[in-house]
Amino acid sequence: MRIEKCYFCSTNVYPGHGSAFVRNDAKVFRFCTSKCHKNFRMKRNPRKVRWTKAFRKAAGKEMTVDSTIDFEKRRNVPIRYDRNLVQTTIKAMKRIGEIKARRERAFYKNRMATAKAKQRAHRQKALEKAKASVKLHEPMAVEEDALKVKERIKVPSKSKSSLVQGGGRSMDMEVD
Amino acid sequence: MGRLRRSRTHHAQRDVRRASRTRARTRDLDQIQLIDLDPKNRAELEAQPLDYEKPGLAQHYCVECAKYFETDHALKSHWRSKVHKRRCKQLREPVYTIEEAERAAGLGKEGKRPVREAVLDAEMSTTTPT
Repeated sequence: MRIEKCYFCSTNVYPGHGSAFVRNDAKVFRFCTSKCHKNFRMKRNPRKVRWTKAFRKAAGKEMTVDSTIDFEKRRNVPIRYDRNLVQTTIKAMKRIGEIKARRERAFYKNRMATAKAKQRAHRQKALEKAKASVKLHEPMAVEEDALKVKERIKVPSKSKSSLVQGGGRSMDMEVD
Repeated sequence: MGRLRRSRTHHAQRDVRRASRTRARTRDLDQIQLIDLDPKNRAELEAQPLDYEKPGLAQHYCVECAKYFETDHALKSHWRSKVHKRRCKQLREPVYTIEEAERAAGLGKEGKRPVREAVLDAEMSTTTPT
């Protein structure tokens, strides 16, 4: 049994999960979810979709050259079971995992160190641009008279309504 | 939020579902770039025998876009179009393959098939903590 990799997002596809598409030239494309399959059907390039592993690697957001990554390989030659070998391998896997995590953290920190200065420069630029486009005016003096309340308008307290009987506008027939 | 789409937002593309069915599948970019654009294959595709099933009897084929045209005039005007130029631009960048997906996941490829003992030795040396 093999743990395959998703064609689109490069995550693990465990046996019994996901789906596969076999193209008419016998190439097998495996997908972890229907989301990845749909994106493939839309003929999107995973290198340009930001949430995929391919994008992150291509854009320099993750380690690409490191000795800790080189262990996982597609091996087509089966190895005979050896108790000692399994034990050492399991021990090594843990250790390598630790080293990898540490290196990834260092890589991230290093990346962020330059990112902050870059972001600041970008913000400064955006601010300058905004300042250039917006022109502030002094508020105009408001005249005193305009603020004064004009004379009150008299509103008849009793409005005529056809809905109220005897409201004056009723359509009632005049009864003698 | 990332970059929002600015181009290709106005096309009247209807029935996307139907167009994406497997039976309506067109050639993928990697097939075109790695196989069709090869000069020998290209010449073969451009000079196809008469086929009554294909549009224009398969006489006017655009290799980059994997599309048949009815007339030579239509093909010529297609070459001048935005769609074709966009496609050519896409074909100029390196293809995305299954191998790249695996490399992005950190899955390398074993080079040559080594001798039995050599494999075991390599296993032992790689499993020792670094």
